[in-house]
Amino acid sequence: MTLGPAWPALLGLLLAGYFVLAGLDYGVQMLTPRFGRDDRERRALLNAFGPFFLGNEVWLVVAAGVLFGAFPFLEGRLLPGMYFLFAAILAAIAVGNAAVQLRGHHRGASARRLWDGLIFLGGLVPAAGWGLVTGRLLAGVPLDARNAFSLGPADLVHPFVLLCSATTTAVFVAHGASFLAWRTGGEPGARAARAGRRALLVAAVAAAAVIVAGFLSSARHALVNAWPALVAGVALVVVLLVAAALLRAGHPGRAFCATSCAAALPVVALGAGLHPFALVSSSAPGTGLRLAETMAEAGTLRILAGFAVVLVPLLVISQAWNWWLFRDRAGRTPMHL
Amino acid sequence: MTDEALARLQFATTAGFHWLFVMLTLGLAPLIAVMHTRHALGGAPLMERMTRFWGQIYVVNYVLGIVTGLVMEFQFGLAWSGLADYAGNVFGAPLALETIVAFFAESTFLGMWIFGWGKLPKAVHVTLIWLVTLTAYASAYWIMVANGFLQHPVGHEVRGGVARLVDFGAMLTNPNAINALVHAATAALMTGGVFVAGVSSYHFLKRTAEREFFRASLRLGLFVAAPAASVALYYGFVQIPTLVDTQPMKAATLQGHVDDIGSLRVEDVQAQLVQRFGAGDYRPPSWIATAFDVMQDTGYLIFLLVVVALVLLHRDRYLRFRPAAYLMLVAIPLPFVAAFGGWLLREVGRQPWLVYGELTTAAARSPVGSMTASLVLFCGVFLALAVADWALIARYARRGPADTDLGGSPSDGQADRPAASLAL
Ligand code: HDD
Ligand code: HEM
Ligand code: HEM
Repeated sequence: MTLGPAWPALLGLLLAGYFVLAGLDYGVQMLTPRFGRDDRERRALLNAFGPFFLGNEVWLVVAAGVLFGAFPFLEGRLLPGMYFLFAAILAAIAVGNAAVQLRGHHRGASARRLWDGLIFLGGLVPAAGWGLVTGRLLAGVPLDARNAFSLGPADLVHPFVLLCSATTTAVFVAHGASFLAWRTGGEPGARAARAGRRALLVAAVAAAAVIVAGFLSSARHALVNAWPALVAGVALVVVLLVAAALLRAGHPGRAFCATSCAAALPVVALGAGLHPFALVSSSAPGTGLRLAETMAEAGTLRILAGFAVVLVPLLVISQAWNWWLFRDRAGRTPMHL
Repeated sequence: MTDEALARLQFATTAGFHWLFVMLTLGLAPLIAVMHTRHALGGAPLMERMTRFWGQIYVVNYVLGIVTGLVMEFQFGLAWSGLADYAGNVFGAPLALETIVAFFAESTFLGMWIFGWGKLPKAVHVTLIWLVTLTAYASAYWIMVANGFLQHPVGHEVRGGVARLVDFGAMLTNPNAINALVHAATAALMTGGVFVAGVSSYHFLKRTAEREFFRASLRLGLFVAAPAASVALYYGFVQIPTLVDTQPMKAATLQGHVDDIGSLRVEDVQAQLVQRFGAGDYRPPSWIATAFDVMQDTGYLIFLLVVVALVLLHRDRYLRFRPAAYLMLVAIPLPFVAAFGGWLLREVGRQPWLVYGELTTAAARSPVGSMTASLVLFCGVFLALAVADWALIARYARRGPADTDLGGSPSDGQADRPAASLAL
């Protein structure tokens, strides 16, 4: 039992879980500094995701672990290829993650303002950065004969890639806002819902622009499966509009479910658009590094599968338990951050 | 500096920062689990306050463990893509398992433990901290298996220039990994004990009001530190014969600094290695022997100190004998110094190999340009965050249990509690 085809699905699931869960963190992080009117409100907003915060980020850790274990020959291409992008994203996650957790321990107003700025940056850079990564992967990378590549800044200044980045940023903001609208009630909840509606409309426009840019730019040639990618893009626009309508109708919980789907859709678009490739060439359409070539050997996968079959369900259950335990709206959840 | 040296420095600083924090995490977690259990079983309020106070420090320390670990995980792919190309089939597996077996559960459960005060049934709450402890040590195991493979590659065969896993069991029981794990884990436990004893001693010296509180903490710290230090020292010596077998060059570099090396000499091993692998310089820098001395001597010093303190516990002499408390306070950084020497010996002593005898560090470097920018970025970020984090730890340690936030303490005041407008 190597679970061959299940590994890409597992990697996709972990990445989607990361986008959905950490995406809401990044959204709340981008909203909190300006959105909370005083320090007390800002604390309350952060504590809305408090019990889930450590568990959200770890999806990235596990996705990277599975990437290394099951797709070692992708890891060694992808990460050096986008070296500076990943370095910036990681540094920002480190800063934002620490800022969220350390802010509350400082009593002084100026220290808290500094942490607030870092909390914002720690949300913005990963949100925009993952959009750049997604966009560039969809539009292809400059692969050489050994299927290696190395991006320069110029490779990121591409309308399709930049619009992808704008989309993920807006989607995460909207996702964070609908989370806050759902978790906090009263006046702040209503304010979050209003901000969420605006962000959702921006996100829908940005996503639609991505589709248009995809058709008009060179990205079209690189995409292996244009139709499935297009379907994912259209689905994203629709889901965003539905979420906006749900927020307007006063159903923040359902709106949060909709924005969760929206946050996962970029990962779906990647998988659907590139299959059976992991990396496609931007210069020679239809060629690239196949997913199957990037995977570890059967013997290694068999061992990993033995653990994964037992543990992955347990992990999902333990996180579900966490959400169930702290399902109360914020305000009745203990404060720590 | 060459690009390779920069890449090595970047890995070393990230790992160094990571270790400074996870060492204390590993050391404190079991102590806190014990305190919490005693509270849950006996209901003693003192134990609850101890759990919160030390737990607060643990949680603040944990923050940097996570963020540096996150960067560590990506460093392999970012900077050493040759490692994945050569050993991806083998080396990735323990790292992947570390994340599924350990980190995922550790982070999820720690979040629940932190926010679970007053919300979860006692039994569940205590179980969570034990799960956090267990998974922390599980992650140490898996990472040492990965590291052990680099030190002494076992359980694989090389076909077509690519390593393939053939004997997973051999990898899991690699003596180089297991001995190092026991050595490093007990060193971490000792670190936690010395830390708790040192902070408690500070409060005796300051004659703060919390005498009972810190007396109990001191005893627990020393009862753990003393046996942990003995095992750490013992397993230090256990590693020497393994080194002679598996890394003769590193062992030869220690000639004259420790017994049991036999007649190994650097020049002879160099000649043998040239015969086996072709021309090249296979000698690590000779200063790793100094790193070894620092570790060994500091280790003896800590052991001595802990044992004397343990004797002084009799009839509470310790509390009256101020020099002991003073020494214990200044001893807090010593375990970190010793461990740093240990890692330098282990990692620098492995050079020029990344996978010992199979893949050189130079050959494994990613084809990315200069890493100066990212090195400065990561070092700057980690240094700033580490200083902020240590300042907070020091503040919590100094102010004592009355000023603890974890779990919501009375002194926190209602003003800082949930905003009333949000409480539905
Ligand atoms: C699983 C593997 C692994 C683990 C657990 C560690 N390291 Fe490591 N270390 C490496 C894998 C590695 C490496 C990727 O293999 C490096 C990078 C370049 C090299 O040759 O080895 C390395 C290099 C490296 C160097 C530079 C050596 C040189 O370039 O001369 C230092 C000082 C450290 N590490 C220190 C540490 C510390 C303090 C650790 C404790 C957390 C640690 N390492 C754990
Ligand atoms: C290159 C090697 C290493 C990598 C890639 C690595 C990776 C990581 C990652 C990603 C995390 C954060 C997990 C989370 O999000 O919860 C972490 C935390 C941790 N690591 Fe490491 N690690 C390495 C070395 C070590 C070593 C040598 C030890 C101990 C022997 C260790 C022990 C721990 C512990 C106990 C934690 C959790 C506690 C904390 O965050 O303070 N790690 N590590
Ligand atoms: C109590 C203080 C000590 C601490 C905190 C400490 C810590 C460490 C650490 C963290 C490492 C790296 C990881 C590992 O190999 O486990 C290490 C390596 C090592 N330690 Fe220690 N150590 C101490 C005392 C000693 C003593 C007294 C010896 C006796 C000879 C010793 C011998 C070694 C050796 C030989 C290595 C290198 C193993 C290798 O390269 O594979 N240590 N130490």
